[in-house]
Amino acid sequence: MKAKMNAGKIIKKYNLIFMLVLFIVISAILSPNFLTINNFLNLLQQASIPGIVALGMTLVIILGGIDLSVGSVLSFSGMIASMIVFGFQGSGSGIIAGCIVSLIVSAVMGLVTGSLISYFGLPPFIASLAMMEIARGAALLTTSGNPVFNLGEAFHIIGGGFIFGKLAISAVFWIVLTIVLALVLKYSIFGRTLFAIGGNREAAMLSGIKTKRNYAVTYIICALLTGFSGILTASWMSTGQPTAGTGYELDAIAAAVIGGASLSGGTGSVVGTFGGVFLLQILTNIFNLVGLPSYYQRIAKGAIIILALLLNKFVSKNKVK
Amino acid sequence: MKRKRFWTVALILAAAMIFYACGGKNSGDTVSNDSGAEEKKEKTFTIGFSNCSQDTPFFANMTPIIEEYAKGKGVEVISLNADNDVSKQNKDIQDLLSRGIDILVINPVNEDGPSAGIEACHKANVPVVTVDKNIKKGNTAWVGRDNKEMGKLVGEKLIELLGGEDAEGVILEIQGTAGSTTMMDRRDGFHEAIEKIPGLEIVQSSYCDYDRSKAIPATQDLLQANKNVVAIFGHNDDMALGAAQVCKEQNLENVLVCGVDGLMEAVLKIQEGGYDCTASNDPVLLGHTAVDTALEILNEEKVEEFIDAGTVVIDKSNVDQYAEPDLDFATMVK
Repeated sequence: MKAKMNAGKIIKKYNLIFMLVLFIVISAILSPNFLTINNFLNLLQQASIPGIVALGMTLVIILGGIDLSVGSVLSFSGMIASMIVFGFQGSGSGIIAGCIVSLIVSAVMGLVTGSLISYFGLPPFIASLAMMEIARGAALLTTSGNPVFNLGEAFHIIGGGFIFGKLAISAVFWIVLTIVLALVLKYSIFGRTLFAIGGNREAAMLSGIKTKRNYAVTYIICALLTGFSGILTASWMSTGQPTAGTGYELDAIAAAVIGGASLSGGTGSVVGTFGGVFLLQILTNIFNLVGLPSYYQRIAKGAIIILALLLNKFVSKNKVK
Repeated sequence: MKRKRFWTVALILAAAMIFYACGGKNSGDTVSNDSGAEEKKEKTFTIGFSNCSQDTPFFANMTPIIEEYAKGKGVEVISLNADNDVSKQNKDIQDLLSRGIDILVINPVNEDGPSAGIEACHKANVPVVTVDKNIKKGNTAWVGRDNKEMGKLVGEKLIELLGGEDAEGVILEIQGTAGSTTMMDRRDGFHEAIEKIPGLEIVQSSYCDYDRSKAIPATQDLLQANKNVVAIFGHNDDMALGAAQVCKEQNLENVLVCGVDGLMEAVLKIQEGGYDCTASNDPVLLGHTAVDTALEILNEEKVEEFIDAGTVVIDKSNVDQYAEPDLDFATMVK
């Protein structure tokens, strides 16, 4: 069983690398500005925040659930962090307090969503959709819809700072989190439990796995990652914006699925999601570089996501006898 | 298992509907005039304000500004927000009408959208005043600003800062929301000014929806694709500030950045350096003028069809008059 699953995963990953290379080659042909170090570093920075959100989404999808609330939780946690940082006039203690409180609030929201699904039996789609509305309303309520600015230079470094001059700190966070989660999924009991529950919830429960608790924990982890992204967003923009994160949930789901996750649960890969996020970001980037008008960008993005998934299916069907 | 889920979902929907219905009746102002009032002098007027959204500081500020100013004049206000959704705005207008408003003040989601709601107002003999954005027909007055003029003034100031007629180079234009008349007017006004100078070329970004988090990647990418950028114009300050941040990160100190709105964060940046000019779009004056116009109509005085709330270009030379960190926008109301 384990051997077959590994083979399936590797084949899908191979697809993804092939697609990424294809996209990079096409983009390089379309624009001479694409294959530059500067552009690549920009891409990493731009993809890092949606990337961290997509990591959390991948965990939830592997579990067999879904979390539509990520965009709103991102914004709400960003607002909380911003308000606290602003209240402490951008000082170090304010930044620490702001981060801790906003992560706690995110975790609580994840706990509520996860509990509604596992302990109360609500469908994940509806429970997270409801949380999406609640969190967005809460975010707008914090300052009656106004953004919070003047957060100070120190706070800006977390999400907007660079190391070695040009590598975005947020990108470093993204890469590190991806590696950590990949190791957790592959080698830890928790990781294997996720795949088990996602693959067959009844069987997992009957074999003694505490499915309800794992649901809650996974949603909390997803919410923590999202909350962290919210802090990074507020930091990078130097403003807390109640409208931040709109639409992030759909991009996260698309990235996870391109990366090999199945919406019915039991399959997925954070490394694959990393590639999926990167792929989607390349799309936006190359559209901007060649000056493709906005409307075409959206149509093209949707079409390419479909093509990528069809390609995925086609190749894996041919390879797995 | 499936049955249980169905009933759970149905129960949640039912509960949600009950909450919505209760919330609609209890929240907000309770004063409403049900009879077509005969005693003009004695009764309190009720203004219904249908806002298009709360998602930018400008729109979000309009609601409390109108409510507080009207309260100061002894007028009740019931306000609703359409979340950028045209069909919600039509429903909002119907709701306001059933709560017995005397006049509708509306910032439409777009100029065609709320036609059903406006029809209903005509049937109920409730006059309509548009604020900020206009509708195609059916309103007694429009209190707004000439966004074309604002784009043009900023363009002309930018040309001045770039060296006048001999200015040369690429200007990046970070665009707002597609389909918005405000966006189109500012764009057209700006282009009108810049077209007079042969050496300047405008490169437009994709639509960034007045959202800083979209403007930053768009600016990064456009700076990659275009060399010889001398200035960046954002359709609003929020986006232009994002562009300014990118310039700072990439050590492009000589690139001029300008926008529209008179957002206080931008005004303060003009003072400290890193931002060059903006045109004020003071929601305070706009809101006050809208309420005043509404009251004039209710008191059966004649009003102009278009009332221009006015604008002023703020740059380094006059920024000290407008910089006030407690406010959200630079205001022309002293």
